[in-house]
Amino acid sequence: MSIFDIWLGILQGLDVTATVTGYGLLFAVPFALIFGVAQYLAKGAVLFAVTCIIEFWRSSAVIILLFVFYYALPVVGLMLSAVTVSAMVLGLNIGGYASQAVRAGLQSLDRGQKEAGQALGLSRSMILLLIELPQALVAMSPTFVNHFIQLVKATALVSLVTLTDMTFRAKEIAQIEYNPVGIYTSLLLAYFVVCYPIAILGRLLEARISSGRELARGL
Amino acid sequence: MGFDLSFALSTVPTILGAIGTTLLVALISCLGAAGIGFGFEMLRRSGGLSGYAVRFLIDFIRATPVLAWLYFLYFVLPFYGIRLGALTVGILGLSVYFSGYLAEVFKAGIDAIPKGQSEASRAVGLSRIDTIIFIIAPQMLRNIAAPLGNYFVSILKATPYLAVLAVPEMLGQAFDIASDTYRYAEPLTVAGILFLLLALAISQAVKRVETRLLGSNRR
Repeated sequence: MSIFDIWLGILQGLDVTATVTGYGLLFAVPFALIFGVAQYLAKGAVLFAVTCIIEFWRSSAVIILLFVFYYALPVVGLMLSAVTVSAMVLGLNIGGYASQAVRAGLQSLDRGQKEAGQALGLSRSMILLLIELPQALVAMSPTFVNHFIQLVKATALVSLVTLTDMTFRAKEIAQIEYNPVGIYTSLLLAYFVVCYPIAILGRLLEARISSGRELARGL
Repeated sequence: MGFDLSFALSTVPTILGAIGTTLLVALISCLGAAGIGFGFEMLRRSGGLSGYAVRFLIDFIRATPVLAWLYFLYFVLPFYGIRLGALTVGILGLSVYFSGYLAEVFKAGIDAIPKGQSEASRAVGLSRIDTIIFIIAPQMLRNIAAPLGNYFVSILKATPYLAVLAVPEMLGQAFDIASDTYRYAEPLTVAGILFLLLALAISQAVKRVETRLLGSNRR
């Protein structure tokens, strides 16, 4: 098997990697937004409950969470496909991290922003939607890009719950061909090819945002 | 097949017994990652060809999953005649993976030190190595204490990855029980709960140490 065949074999798993990443985002984005905003606005018992849920998803090890949900949910009668369980666990784990970026972004805004909104007679939800969130999300976008890369990398885990992603394909090829150097170097390179352009994008974003900030200060 | 609580409780001592391995792996990997990361950062600063090579290597490590690194080292090292135990390979894998992140921590820690510090030490006749050891490193350590603590927690949360190499840390022990008894839900849930408690306790401890360290250094 040539190195080219190994590459083709590994890339056959790209669709599963992309699928899990995509479905993962469906969990991660709403979770990060809702819980990040909730942690920013809530007080007392609600804040405690919100914090507990976020901490549950981001404090544990994602590989353990995946196995617990994969093996324990069927026992309590919840039958979900491996893709759904993986997307949920990986998505909510990254969503937990990203929620902290959402909250930090909101908290770091100047108080004058909110006060100006109030002075204009906007309701609290309108201030949040029109003034606070857009600024916070733009300011935190490089962090979100980093979390997205972490999500893509975390999908390597789904090879452990029978899904045929790139890592699974590499291990499959390793069973029929003894070429560890070629196979596992190709696997690392495959992830690099996927993730590195995203990292570059994140750096461009960061440069753009920080230059915009300096401009605003200069004026 | 429901959830057998008494069976679950019977697995607690075995899984709890692996906490020592988990913590030891995390501690040695953190030291290893810090060592490699510091070396990377020094090479990157020295500029030249090795600086660019290291810069690429750091980007490469950050764009690839830890699981792929573990497989890579586990299968590729023996190919070159380097036979290490699974535990050693696991620690090496975590060290390499997190060194890419710790290099960035060191970079930020060093960048925060005023340039006059190294210029002054050069002016009084200290060698380059002495400048690093006696002038830069002590000031850097204070700057990196907080992010280093956070990465220790991250490394702790990555230790269960070693279960895929059959290292008997907490998740590995849970899988041992599972494959002996054909019951997965109970040991994995127990491992999940115990690991969550451990991770929460360690991250609280790290926060406390941080506030004490930084509190005594701040004017």
